[in-house]
Amino acid sequence: MRPNLRAVPLPGQKQKETILHIERLSKVFHLNSGYLPVLDKISFEAKSGDLICMLGRSGCGKSTLLKIIAGFLSPSSGRIVLNEKPVTRPGPDRCVIFQEDALFPWLTVGENITFGLKGKKISEKQKAAEMNRFLNLVGLTEFRDYLPRELSGGMKQRVALARVLILQPQVLLMDEPFASLDAQSREDMQNLLLSLWKELSHTILFVTHDVNEAVVLADRILLMDKNPGRIREEVQVGLPRPRERESSAFLNVTRRLNQALRG
Amino acid sequence: MMGPTGKGTGSNAWWFLPWAIPCLLLLLWWAVSATGVIPAYLLPHPLDIAGTGYGYIFGRPEGGPYAGRFLSDAGASILRVGCGFSLAVAVGLPLGILSGRLWFVRKLMSTSVNALRAVPGITWLPLALVWFGIGMKTTIFLVAMAAFFPLYLNAASGAAQVNPLLLQAGAMMGVRRLRGTFAILLPGAISHLMTGLRLGLGISWAYLVLGELTGVPNGLGAVIMDARMLGRIDMIIVGIIVIAVIGRMSDKLLQGGMRCCFKSARRMR
Repeated sequence: MRPNLRAVPLPGQKQKETILHIERLSKVFHLNSGYLPVLDKISFEAKSGDLICMLGRSGCGKSTLLKIIAGFLSPSSGRIVLNEKPVTRPGPDRCVIFQEDALFPWLTVGENITFGLKGKKISEKQKAAEMNRFLNLVGLTEFRDYLPRELSGGMKQRVALARVLILQPQVLLMDEPFASLDAQSREDMQNLLLSLWKELSHTILFVTHDVNEAVVLADRILLMDKNPGRIREEVQVGLPRPRERESSAFLNVTRRLNQALRG
Repeated sequence: MMGPTGKGTGSNAWWFLPWAIPCLLLLLWWAVSATGVIPAYLLPHPLDIAGTGYGYIFGRPEGGPYAGRFLSDAGASILRVGCGFSLAVAVGLPLGILSGRLWFVRKLMSTSVNALRAVPGITWLPLALVWFGIGMKTTIFLVAMAAFFPLYLNAASGAAQVNPLLLQAGAMMGVRRLRGTFAILLPGAISHLMTGLRLGLGISWAYLVLGELTGVPNGLGAVIMDARMLGRIDMIIVGIIVIAVIGRMSDKLLQGGMRCCFKSARRMR
């Protein structure tokens, strides 16, 4: 049996090790009309178990940055190092939750969740046990045999979470995963993500344009600017968890970030 | 598995709907024959057709020129269609999928495929006769030629239109190319593949008759041609109906087989 819970210190403790290095990453798109610099010398590091939000308005290259870290795009210059190995292509150590529905429509919820386990040397019994555990973690046990088209948007994203969490990725890359949900589902999903994070302690890079979302989730917020996309400021959120969305401390942080985004 | 609402598929109360038009046509035909608006040498009475059909299928060989030939004719034709269609699938599907995914293959194939596609299938008949002579090989060649294009084109557009997110999702879950092809690309393109297969099989029956018009001794097309020479219009119509029925059954069989073998075909919208 693989280890289910990695022994990672709780968020806030000091002995976390840095696992992800982003080093002077730049990206230039070649268009018909010339060159479009999208990212300009992005550098930051993530420690094991960090929850980092990249916050910025549309067009600041935050999604492109995530795609490069995922290995779907290659950078024009600079590099990414995960666990002392340079990242060159997609792999199960860095899983992505997409904004859009990217479930396999011909597979049931259960089959979608175990998709990544196929070809691994695990017995069918263990596979079923893992599937049930993750179905339960995202609260979809009764929906195991449903097809994605029979689920709501929020439920689809739960399946998307479960199917990558089951692979025990080092880093979870989330590309505005809750942006298309209604306000209530979005809040539910944020809470679910936080409780999963507390239990499984993955490193999470979360892209969003929603200030509230960033402040609810993040340890650190990378505030991004556009033309070309760059990190303007790193904000330590520092609010105790669980965070009260209505508290004045919370509202202070969101106000400051909103001003910064506008400025 | 069905969706929670069976909308669009029709409920059991509508089972007769697919048969409404054939029944109506039959009634019309019966009326026309009964009133004698069209003489019997142009359009025989349905009952005469039924009699000829019965003799063709169940009759004993000594009962007349066509009696009892059904099994050997249908067997020969099904074999020819089966071989020609299989050949087209074996070449057209992989090639189509490759050209849908790889620009190199697409460019390589584009001129040839589109030029050949413009040539009507019947044009190949004289050449095929010279190359392969009368019979099995010519028919298989014609069927394969004709079925190739819908298979190739639909496979190509199906493979090209698979949601790239699904392929990215596969890549990040550690799926390598070969498994990705079978576990993501093919299921993702299944509705196009089905369309290609069904069109290909349908056109196979059309070109089967063409291939059999050239003087082969057996086969459903041969029977029709033979009946024309002898002025047996009832037999021509029986031949047409038999091809229609077998063609429809082969389409059903194809769909059923695909649903049986592939989850994605079963769960297709």
